[in-house]
Amino acid sequence: MHSPRSIRQEFFQKWIMGLQKCRTLKKNMTILERKKAIKLSADLAMASTRNQTTRWSQALIANACTDDDNNNFTLHILDSTQCERLRSKFCSLSSMACSRKRMRSRKILKRSRSSSSVVRVKRSVDQKVVMANSIAKRLVKKRTSMLKSLVPGGEFMNDDMSLIEETLDYIEALRAQVDVMRCFASASS
Amino acid sequence: MTVLERQRARMEWQQEQQLQQHHQQQQSNFFGSGFNGVLPMQAHVGQAQNFQGLMMGGESALGEAVTKPDPGLENGWPDLGKFEIPRMGFESVSGAASGLDMNSAISRTSSGPPSVVAAAAAQEAKGKESNLSEKISATGRESSKKRKADKVQNHKVVAEDDNKKDKRMKACADEGDSKVTEQTSTTTHNNRETSADTSKENSKASEVQKLDYIHVRARRGQATDSHSLAERVSRFMKTFFQVSRFTCCNDQYIMHFKISAWQFGFIIVFSALCRSGERKISERMKYLQDLVPGCNKITGKAGMLDEIINYVQSLQQQVEFLSMKLATVNPRLDFNIDDIFTKEVFPACTPSFPAIGMSSNMTNPAYLHFDPAQQMVSCCGLDMGINLPDMGLRRTTSAPVSIPETFLDAACFNQIQPSATWEADLQNIYNVALGQGRLTSFPSQQFTGPIEGSNLKMEM
Repeated sequence: MHSPRSIRQEFFQKWIMGLQKCRTLKKNMTILERKKAIKLSADLAMASTRNQTTRWSQALIANACTDDDNNNFTLHILDSTQCERLRSKFCSLSSMACSRKRMRSRKILKRSRSSSSVVRVKRSVDQKVVMANSIAKRLVKKRTSMLKSLVPGGEFMNDDMSLIEETLDYIEALRAQVDVMRCFASASS
Repeated sequence: MTVLERQRARMEWQQEQQLQQHHQQQQSNFFGSGFNGVLPMQAHVGQAQNFQGLMMGGESALGEAVTKPDPGLENGWPDLGKFEIPRMGFESVSGAASGLDMNSAISRTSSGPPSVVAAAAAQEAKGKESNLSEKISATGRESSKKRKADKVQNHKVVAEDDNKKDKRMKACADEGDSKVTEQTSTTTHNNRETSADTSKENSKASEVQKLDYIHVRARRGQATDSHSLAERVSRFMKTFFQVSRFTCCNDQYIMHFKISAWQFGFIIVFSALCRSGERKISERMKYLQDLVPGCNKITGKAGMLDEIINYVQSLQQQVEFLSMKLATVNPRLDFNIDDIFTKEVFPACTPSFPAIGMSSNMTNPAYLHFDPAQQMVSCCGLDMGINLPDMGLRRTTSAPVSIPETFLDAACFNQIQPSATWEADLQNIYNVALGQGRLTSFPSQQFTGPIEGSNLKMEM
């Protein structure tokens, strides 16, 4: 396991390298372009510190590759071969997830049917409880889907376990990123 | 004589003991009509009990006391009865229990007590972890030393059966000892039969009744989780057994159905497996709680997810903001890297270094992140916050290693470890602060006092 210090150093080195590449690519940029370049390079650096080991980093790089605006930046920052590889991987992953989703929706349909019959059988006292349970379930489900949308590549994490693990890792990386960027900003201003 | 036979012999001896005690108590009518006597169990059921002893062994001091033939049992017996009383309400649901003759009823309450203990422990767990360890040791340690040998034998027995299962079960038992914080739901099994041969006096008791309960409890938050033990067990029961009656109270499922001995054992194994999976998830959630500040006090999955979402969002927004700031500051993406790099390697030191914030952060890690604006300002506070994942990771590595025998040591270790890392980090910061002080005319003298002070605090 990396110590947080070494993660930060690695991230910083990669970020600086990416920034330099960005600078060589285009001379005169607007402020928004600059901002985008900085953010992109920071994200890519963050992802590449955890490359190939976590799904969120793969998804982050692949998203950057597929996005048209960022494409040339990304290709410039990363090796093109690596980018291609990741993109193909990501595409296969997403297609797999789609098929899985379809299956799951069928399952849900089935379950909802069966559960409705069960509910009918139960007495009125239980129905309240069932209602409360379903409400709580819905709340949790809503939040889980929201978290999935926040974590890159989260749509493809089907079970709670992997989602939680990835979130854990992602939060850590984000913290390192924010920390380094803040210090960088305070130092360069 | 194999281990199993020895176990059986012991069981018989224990049954005799319990019979005697039972008669005494019947004389004094100590427990009133609600009390269910304990009578000899069948051999298969005894085996099942062995399984269960293994499963629940971690959590139950008293449950073990039932399987363990011990002279101390006489002392322990009234306690068991005391624990038994609160559960009478559930048993009387069937309506068949209390009316039966005491002699003819076989009641098996192997893991009733741990549910009580675990519930109490879970409540405590919300507060303080250190307290919890003491609590566990207080409740669970009493008999654990005595039954160590028994436990080992149990393991052996299972090893003959199935190697893979044994491993998992061992893990379960160990976890049970080491982690009660995750122990939020317990399965309690009641197995009650009336045996025909002991019915000399009553015609009522002579009719053979079989009423078995699987009694699954879940806390309110867990009932919503589709991965939770209660949900899974109930799903499993619905599909695989003929559930004659299934009631779902506020936070517990009570099911009534008939099972045989092997089914009983199977259910126990199944529930243990479920629990290990559930425990994994809840462990991860716990690390997340450690990682995300302000999450410690929130119970319930929805609230925790809320907090995590907020945190991730705030971090992402910070990245946006900072990249914007950098873009405005550097018009040509031209960073003076040589100058910055020396500073960046040790991002801990900036001139506004509040040592007070640090110490309060130690006592209350949640404090920083409720106030993102302040976080923007105080850079070093963030650094302290970032040390938290380090602690969390350390705990992940040390938790599975801790075996039940060294649990207390492990608890101490956990307590000490963070402080050690703190100390190291502080030392680091301190050194850097000194080094940096030379560069930026930074008044280093000023900070040595507070830092050492907080350091001492941490070691306490």
